[in-house]
Amino acid sequence: MAEAGAVAQRLLAITRDGAGGAGLAGQICRACVDGLDVDGAAISLLTESPSRETLCATDATAARVEELQFTLGEGACVEAATTGRPVLVPDVWEASREGRWPVFAAAVAEQTAVRALFALPLQLGTINLGVLDLYRTTPGTLAAAGLRDAMRAADTAAGMLLGLRTDPGDGQWWDQSWASHAEVHQATGMVIAQLGVDAEEAFARLRAYAFSQDRLLGDVARDVVARRLRFSDEMA
Amino acid sequence: MTQPGNSREQSLIEAFVGLADTLVDDYDIIDLLDRLASYSVTLLAADAAGILLADQQGTLRVLASSNEESEMVELLQLQAEQGPCLDCVHTAAPVSVPDLTDAAGRWPDFVAALDAGAYRSVHALPLRLRGQAVGALNLFGRQPGALADADLALGQALADVATIGILQERAIRRSEVLSEQLQTALNSRVIIEQAKGVLAERGELSMDAAFGRLRNHARNRNQRLSQLARLIVEGELAPGDVLLAALAAQPAPVDER
Repeated sequence: MAEAGAVAQRLLAITRDGAGGAGLAGQICRACVDGLDVDGAAISLLTESPSRETLCATDATAARVEELQFTLGEGACVEAATTGRPVLVPDVWEASREGRWPVFAAAVAEQTAVRALFALPLQLGTINLGVLDLYRTTPGTLAAAGLRDAMRAADTAAGMLLGLRTDPGDGQWWDQSWASHAEVHQATGMVIAQLGVDAEEAFARLRAYAFSQDRLLGDVARDVVARRLRFSDEMA
Repeated sequence: MTQPGNSREQSLIEAFVGLADTLVDDYDIIDLLDRLASYSVTLLAADAAGILLADQQGTLRVLASSNEESEMVELLQLQAEQGPCLDCVHTAAPVSVPDLTDAAGRWPDFVAALDAGAYRSVHALPLRLRGQAVGALNLFGRQPGALADADLALGQALADVATIGILQERAIRRSEVLSEQLQTALNSRVIIEQAKGVLAERGELSMDAAFGRLRNHARNRNQRLSQLARLIVEGELAPGDVLLAALAAQPAPVDER
């Protein structure tokens, strides 16, 4: 199989010790700036609630773009977060003329040197782990290879952030194989229904259970799907 | 299974009209591929069909399956590691295994999983784009045997229509569209698996039956599968609504006149 991209490779090399969410986000952003054709990066967590948080911005410009989106409630990052789709803006000035996020685009053009903006959602199914915003001061698309690398990096970053947030204390980071295991996602759905919790909490419970029983997540998921194992509030 | 005469012609018309319908409006790759999988089973000599596309890493990922049981989806996913699907994508040419017993030495895990699912043959047809394959349509048979030339040609035509569909919308303007759509589709697939889990638990259904309810509900309302799945997983639509409504709206059996 093809090797993971250079940026994703570098992300996988990040060690666990002491890295909290913001620290991890910082390392992810720096790896993107170093490895991709962009000038700055930021990761923000946007949720339905007003609690919006920028986990990391590599420079003042990146921080300003995040701030503008939060204040104005529109922009590439907001769109990526709400639609779950990558939003690629090769030229912010053009977006401004096209009437796409008119206020945001105009503010970015006026107040910052940003010309191109690429917002990649960090997600696993419905679990929203933030948006990775990349900017460049020159207009233009990301070359095909660069875009693939950026998307791989976003996938890897989402997994790492999720791994950190649902960490049961097993010292593991993130297992790439989780994403492609249908049964892990099906079991997550069943646990959502069994416990009345959201997807992230359901996934965390599965992982915690696997850890407490010293079993693989995939095996536990298979038991849930086969209805050999049910989650209840007493189990926690 | 293959049907004789007019009935097959009728099914064929329905398949192309159905595929074309998904292209006209705002659509999802997932909906398109789900239809392709279903039509493959209706029209070709196949008992099950599944579609894998290569992700950004080049790893093959399951996007749609005519049978949504866990075992089938996992069997399909196993092809990311070994099996005719990989060869098909690499060569962008059809790869046939008329009798799996002949392939046990070559792909032991895949053949064992096929055997466990009581399948005896598998054929992989490429989803071709400019001389490359972006994925493959896999046809599974319960009987050993080669795919008839007519079925091979029709299967390839269906696969080609679907590939065109994946790309047609914004492809002309934007080269990055495939990466973008694929990224979104892969995540949609995760949401659909989660939604199947919610419905299976609430309705005491198998994963395949849960997916059937999801699909019926989405088609009856002209809604994207991924949108509906998200509403269910996020608790914005009560699973009971989907379970009940979809039951009431089961399509009538096809009139065989």
